[in-house]
Amino acid sequence: MSSFPKSEPSGKPNIVDGVYNWADERLGLTEVVALATHKQVPQHKHSFWYYWGGISLLCFIVQLLTGVLLLVYYRPGKEAYESVRQITYDVDFGWLIRSAHSWSANLMVFAVFVHMFSVFFMKAYKKPREFGWWTGLGLLGLVMLFGFSGYLLPMDELSYFATKVGLQLPSMLPGVGAIVNNVVRGGPSVGENTVQRFFALHVVVLPLLFMPLLGFHLLLVQKHGNAVPEGEAAKPLSQRRSVPFFPNFFAMDLAMWLIALNVITILATLFPWDLGQPANALASAPIGIHPEWYFMSQFQLLKGMGLVLPGMMGEVVGMGLFTAVLLFWAVIPLFDSETVAGKRARIATWTGYLVVTGMLALTIWGYAAL
Amino acid sequence: MNYPVWDVPFLGSGWVVGIIAIFHVMISHFAVGGGFYLILAERKARRENRADWLEIIRRHSHFFLILTAAFGTVSGVGIWFSIGLASPQSTSALIHNFVFGWAMEWCFFLVEIATILVYYSTWDRVDAKTHMRIGWLYAWTSFGTLAIINGILTFMLTPGKAWLAVAGTGREASEFWAALFNPTYWPSLVLRTLICFALAGVWALVTASRIDGFTKPALKTEVIRWSARWLLPSFILIPPALAWYLYAVPETSRQLLQLGVGTIGSGMFTQVARAALVTTMSSATILAVVYFLAWKNPKDFGLGHAIAVVFLALAATGATEHAREMIRKPYTINQYMYSNGLRKSEIAHVNQVGFTTASLWVSGNPGEAMFRGQCMNCHTIDGYRAMRQLLHGRDHAAIARLLNILHTVPADSPYKNYMPPLSGTPEEIAALNDYLGSLVGAAAGANDVLAAKGKTVFDANACSACHGDGGTGGPLAPALTGVGTRLPGDKLAAFLAKPSDKAVAGGMPAPKLADDDMKALLAYLNSLK
Amino acid sequence: MSDSSLPIVNKIDEAAPASRRGLLQLGITLAGACYAGAVGYPVYRYLATPARRAELADSEITTVSIPASGLPGPGTGTIFLFASRPTLLIHHEDGHYTAFDAVCSHLGCTVAFQPDNHRIFCPCHGGVYDMNTGAVVSGPPPRGLKVYHVEVKDANVVVSKV
Repeated sequence: MSSFPKSEPSGKPNIVDGVYNWADERLGLTEVVALATHKQVPQHKHSFWYYWGGISLLCFIVQLLTGVLLLVYYRPGKEAYESVRQITYDVDFGWLIRSAHSWSANLMVFAVFVHMFSVFFMKAYKKPREFGWWTGLGLLGLVMLFGFSGYLLPMDELSYFATKVGLQLPSMLPGVGAIVNNVVRGGPSVGENTVQRFFALHVVVLPLLFMPLLGFHLLLVQKHGNAVPEGEAAKPLSQRRSVPFFPNFFAMDLAMWLIALNVITILATLFPWDLGQPANALASAPIGIHPEWYFMSQFQLLKGMGLVLPGMMGEVVGMGLFTAVLLFWAVIPLFDSETVAGKRARIATWTGYLVVTGMLALTIWGYAAL
Repeated sequence: MNYPVWDVPFLGSGWVVGIIAIFHVMISHFAVGGGFYLILAERKARRENRADWLEIIRRHSHFFLILTAAFGTVSGVGIWFSIGLASPQSTSALIHNFVFGWAMEWCFFLVEIATILVYYSTWDRVDAKTHMRIGWLYAWTSFGTLAIINGILTFMLTPGKAWLAVAGTGREASEFWAALFNPTYWPSLVLRTLICFALAGVWALVTASRIDGFTKPALKTEVIRWSARWLLPSFILIPPALAWYLYAVPETSRQLLQLGVGTIGSGMFTQVARAALVTTMSSATILAVVYFLAWKNPKDFGLGHAIAVVFLALAATGATEHAREMIRKPYTINQYMYSNGLRKSEIAHVNQVGFTTASLWVSGNPGEAMFRGQCMNCHTIDGYRAMRQLLHGRDHAAIARLLNILHTVPADSPYKNYMPPLSGTPEEIAALNDYLGSLVGAAAGANDVLAAKGKTVFDANACSACHGDGGTGGPLAPALTGVGTRLPGDKLAAFLAKPSDKAVAGGMPAPKLADDDMKALLAYLNSLK
Repeated sequence: MSDSSLPIVNKIDEAAPASRRGLLQLGITLAGACYAGAVGYPVYRYLATPARRAELADSEITTVSIPASGLPGPGTGTIFLFASRPTLLIHHEDGHYTAFDAVCSHLGCTVAFQPDNHRIFCPCHGGVYDMNTGAVVSGPPPRGLKVYHVEVKDANVVVSKV
């Protein structure tokens, strides 16, 4: 790798090389460098999708930084609303930090979904990448929880009612539903205790779970490299191309990150996040209340099933359907294993199409039915 | 006022102009910078005897021709149509002042379009020397069009003392050159020229990205890198040029930059600060993306990448042009004509005779006419800068206080740097209050400051004890809504001085009030509908 | 993995000649500066808001009035807040008042009035100030305490900036 520091100093004494060698003899940096640079990224017409994991990571970093900044002024519990009001309308550029955090949250969920579906359709869950798939699903779940817990923290009307509606989901769990909800809420209804708990979840618990899992996920990607779609894998070697991850693809990745950062800036600056009225437990739910867009498909599934099937049956069947799809999704690497382009492979791909279409349709239907 | 109002729901007439204009800037600045790009690229190719380069340049000139001659022209004319509809008074003022300038501009345009058509169609059909002469003619003519329109645009922000001295006298054209080469002319020309060169590079990357990096790696690398370099001098020189521009801009305009810092609360004019942030960020991203994608990986630079860069340039351009428009508020021609077409010099007259009287065109009831004539240039009802949102939750008294600030323009008015003064008679302003109140369902109550005081008198004298809160009536006394119609003119005052026997029998006192308080109470009672 | 057997193409070529490279680096540095500014400036203002507001408020407050009835008798010192600064108000034996900024000029500890020793004393490192003028008598402080103007008006003790 020509652009990296060499192990032996060149003719002229170079302080950077000297420091590098000193550290290398003690930390084994050369091995780390080798791990970082051995990877090559295949270049083909679907290479565009390789960026989306990185974009998700950028969004997470933005969330981390803006989140810590918000932490400087946010007060959970009784003063939650007032502290967010101060951040949005009082503190210099508070509106910008908060809007960046909210927009980047939405973009992160979007990016993670795009990333997951592109991995699915490229069948990059096959051996040896099964653990990558499972850790990825774990990360997706944590991201949804991040979104759900963060949404309540401003304690305005929208947060309050969206959380109430969203908590319908765990209440559906057979047997333990009500107990789980009581523990999650810190009481019989959403209130101060809930904010405090969601805050602890959002700021401490979820990051502690997310970051090691993410580290493991990235290590696996580094170890196994990028998968190629079947069409590309079938081509003769002479027709296939790749670029070194470092420095070529890294430069392109960085450019993508800057574009994503720019999109976040434009959204946060031109469409800043507002603050509604403070949450009022005695007020009736606003007409058309609904959870954030990434929960809409589940929300509408339950609602739709409730229309078709009588009583509790609707919700139970809806939850069951949802759980079944989730389970199948999780075990897909075991289902669609080695055999290339076989029957199972086709079933997997078509299930994927069904899921994507279904989620999109349910989300659109959900909004239309508001 | 003197023209019908162009009512564009949701978007507002201003944004119709804005969208067309931003699109036009993306293309017209490419037309100027790209003209120099073509001729300099052709010169380089011919000097180095590079037939492969010439082929790329020919392809680029085809793309250039279609984009600039077709879309550039149409969008330019689009600006004419939209400004004439959105702001006819300002357009009229500009035409009267710069008709000679626009005549020059159209001459330049004609030559410009003719030359680019000839340039493309005579490729390989005339000798190299002639072809390059045509190219140079195009480039300089195109620059000429920029030089003139830049004068008119910058005039709007800084007309200059000389012109302002003759404004409104009928002798404005005597200061034509001073108006054209006004205080912000030169910094703006430098800035725009730099932007032209940068955009030339951005659009050139589109053509260059379509070279197949697999079969022609060396050519692609060369062309991409040569095109990417067009962004560099601009990027380095734009910050000092921008500083020069901001220095030349009026102080009040510069102050508008600071308004977006503390809050984005409703009603604060935060556009300029926010647009500035987008411009800075997008410009930096353009350079970084071009460096990391185009410069470092030229063979892999695809059309998708190039289009991403174009969109970033669009974001930067849009934000900058929007900010430029916003710092001129509340004027379309600084210190002379406000955004709603009213001249600064006629405000006193309009206040005296009334806005509806002074206007040649009015539609709707007086309140609605006031809104349409004076507010709709910048506000919509439900869309951009929505009145419904901005006045949400206010009652008539609060609206009255706001309109009073806009009308009297006290020194500490938060609006005076970006909103024109509200002109009209007190009756017209009250009518406007009614209209605006009807938009937000304002609580019934005091219709002006005097009536607001009257409400306190009403409450302080326990009138509400029998007549109900807000005069809605109760078991002991009738409702007072509409009492101004039942006892018009002096009859209400007379009644209060000596109530009817029936009223006295029911317990109605004759309120003993100071003159001021009585006047206020009467205003309040008359406002109850 | 099969990846490493793929043909490597399109390695990053080395950049332009030295003069162009200098310009390139200037451009990249400027881009970096733009990012630093666009991100750094809002973050700085965000974090500095309370300090900036306090400074602004501090400069605007020029007088503080304290009801005399709330103050202890002669031969005592009271610490109160003048804007955001702790300030020492000394009620002398003969009835007159003096007031000084109570932040020691040495390392910022809050000073105290010692009526028995007729002096202002800083407990952190033993600095001593004159109770009438605020000047340094002994110890490490480099400068005297800032003096305020005090007068008694009606029933209030009015402390104002000199």
